Amino acid sequence: MAEQYPHLEKFRDQIQRCSRCGFCQAHCPVFGGTRRPALNARGKMLLLKEVLEGSLELNDELVESLFQCTTCASCTSNCPSGVDVPAIIKAARKQMVGLGTCHPAFSGMDQVLDEYDNIYAEDEPEDFDRVRGGKAEVVYFIGCVGQYREEDATEAALDLLDHLEVDYTLIDEVCCSGVLEDVGFSIKPALARKNIERILATGAKTLVTGCPYCYRTFSKQEAYAPLREAGLTIVHLSQFLAGRDLGLRSDLKVTYHDPCDLGRHCGIYEEPRQTIKAVAPNFVELADHHQDALCCGAGGGVRGAYAKNSLAMARRRLAQVEDSGAEVLLTECNSCVHNLSNAKLRAQKFRVMTTPQFLMELIEES
Amino acid sequence: MKPETKDRLRAVVGEANFSDKLIDLVTYSSDASPHLHRPEAAIWATSAEQVQAIVQLANQEDFPVTVRGAGTGLSGLSVPAKGGLVLDLSRMDQILDINITDRVAVVQPGVIYADLDNALAPHGYFFPPDPGSSKVCTLGGNVATNAGGVKGAKYGTTRDYVLGLTVVLGDGSIMRTGNRAMKSVSGFDLTRLFVGSEGVLGIVTEIILKINPKPRANATTLAVFDDLEDAGRAVSGVMASGVVPSVLEILGRETLRAINQNTELNLPEVDAMLLAETDGYTQGEADYQMERVVEQFRAHNAREVKQAESAAQAAELWKARKSCVPVLARIRPSFILEDITVPISQVAAMLRGVQEIAARQQVQIATFGHAGDGNLHPQIIYDAADPEESKRVEAAVHDLFQLALDLGGTLTGEHGIGLSKAAYMEMEHDPVAMKLMRSIKKVCDPNNVLNPGKMALDV
Repeated sequence: MAEQYPHLEKFRDQIQRCSRCGFCQAHCPVFGGTRRPALNARGKMLLLKEVLEGSLELNDELVESLFQCTTCASCTSNCPSGVDVPAIIKAARKQMVGLGTCHPAFSGMDQVLDEYDNIYAEDEPEDFDRVRGGKAEVVYFIGCVGQYREEDATEAALDLLDHLEVDYTLIDEVCCSGVLEDVGFSIKPALARKNIERILATGAKTLVTGCPYCYRTFSKQEAYAPLREAGLTIVHLSQFLAGRDLGLRSDLKVTYHDPCDLGRHCGIYEEPRQTIKAVAPNFVELADHHQDALCCGAGGGVRGAYAKNSLAMARRRLAQVEDSGAEVLLTECNSCVHNLSNAKLRAQKFRVMTTPQFLMELIEES
Repeated sequence: MKPETKDRLRAVVGEANFSDKLIDLVTYSSDASPHLHRPEAAIWATSAEQVQAIVQLANQEDFPVTVRGAGTGLSGLSVPAKGGLVLDLSRMDQILDINITDRVAVVQPGVIYADLDNALAPHGYFFPPDPGSSKVCTLGGNVATNAGGVKGAKYGTTRDYVLGLTVVLGDGSIMRTGNRAMKSVSGFDLTRLFVGSEGVLGIVTEIILKINPKPRANATTLAVFDDLEDAGRAVSGVMASGVVPSVLEILGRETLRAINQNTELNLPEVDAMLLAETDGYTQGEADYQMERVVEQFRAHNAREVKQAESAAQAAELWKARKSCVPVLARIRPSFILEDITVPISQVAAMLRGVQEIAARQQVQIATFGHAGDGNLHPQIIYDAADPEESKRVEAAVHDLFQLALDLGGTLTGEHGIGLSKAAYMEMEHDPVAMKLMRSIKKVCDPNNVLNPGKMALDV
């Protein structure tokens, strides 16, 4: 008999291995904000187990659970049985999309990238008044959020590269489309090809990006293997900056939010802290940090599809910032900055910015 | 459940706190046990008054109510065995008061154990039971199961810290038990009756807990024994030595072998390993106690004794113990984690008996547990999809219970009866005790609306 759910079948063992202990609730942003077990990893595994056993149909009724996951992987880092939940969620979404079942916000993302070069369906990219497609040692890849939503953060990142006299160029970049893999679709080969050609054409040896998701996509996805095969060193901006003596100092009380794509997904926890602590010795950790960091609620397509819960997740993270007494919350992800800034209440007096924004302010003050 | 009933429930809690969606019914059908049964609806209450209204409605319209916290129970306590309504209290998550002078914390039932711990830490206080699921479990669930943990030998279990409760009884009336005072002999101890009552008598909506100042120093030691008898005698020796370690854990041969097969820890595959921790308010106090523990380890032929010189070394020594459940959970598709408890002098006999049962019933059982309070966790690992093997597992479970009772122990030290052990209640409790328990159930919950099907009470 042909397998009914080939994408899910690949994970049958893992789905069955979930022992239902519930430890995945500890730092699950969706569960934390709703206290609804159906939205937690254990609930999702129970649903999929019944799907594989044939007692449940993989249909629209399951969308609210299976599409409401930021794929932040906190469940996996708390799982005694080693279940790779984000991989299973991605497979389930692909399976559902194949069956014609999908949240409209998710299929919208796929359609947008059929028509546009960026995830926001914008026509005019900000040009940041920098060289594009030149020859340089380093290519700096901005990413859609930095290009169209958090332009100030990008401006600061580029100013910082200028300040450090880095020999870099921008390219006429298009969306890396990596996020489509998380929301039930696939990377667009045409977009990947454009990025690869334009990056390699610069002759650069290093590809730096300020976007943790683009970093993940370039360093892990098959579609971007040509970049790695060309011997290009791929780093996130925080890695590129780590260990540099910037000669800066701030007495502000500063804390750091680990972006899921950088931390749990790529294991990059210390490089950002190295830079921040060298400049701001009055550094404090949030109540949950490193592999236990609470997700900002933006990932996995959740911000678009479930905006209210996404903001509630960001507010829980911001409450931890408030409790820490920090004056500045730094992070290394434009998407996190975007969601956290949108969710911040007026009464919350701390500032939210990227590390390069913080550093550029200090440079300008000095 | 009739549509009108659902409408009345929605009217009690509001649209956002009621669901009969498929995704909720499926996920509320189980907890951390192997049991499974779908409810007809789920509700999140946010006040005692709402809980009361829901229970009154259950009595009027005759539907079962099964209370749930974090759903981390291992015996099916929060599985809605008879359908009806799952009442989730996790949104009642406020810490209402912390009073260091009075040594009390007043909490709602949905407060997560770790959240209370974090709130007490700045005061230098803690709530000691420390169950294995402390990061996620709720205090209401701790009360309902009388939860324990690794520190039971020295600090006892939840029951030792509950001073008072607010309870909605099965007939819909609200009752307060106990008070905020450190001692009280006023009337029957109703508080204790409700601690560990598994949601069959009433629904706890507020808890007054006693809290302890947190010891600031500790010492950690690991010892390995070639012979199980020696390890058992070492446990008895430690517990009789005049000091009480804060932790005294044992890992059996099968467990050590399983850990070695699945990690890089390279443990010696001996009969038993003991992990001890002592604590105190000064390092000298912790060290003094540890010297007594180590004396006992050496006196009973420990092959090797490793004492941690730093927090990092202590964490190394803890690694084997902490890897037990995850490692064992990964070996076979299914597992049953028991929690039989015996007098401390019988720990070695119990461990030997477990090995004999495993051989006799041809099942794989790895044992570890809290030797310091005689609470052992034989973890049976198997494939639930294999009917033959499942039958042998069932027989082994029966034998484990019989052995624990024969040694003067109990079916369950900390996980509760629920569904898993309901069939064995009469094995442990005599007919008079069973009759009294059923009478108490009848008085508190005359229409049997609260968590029916559990603890063998609804005969």
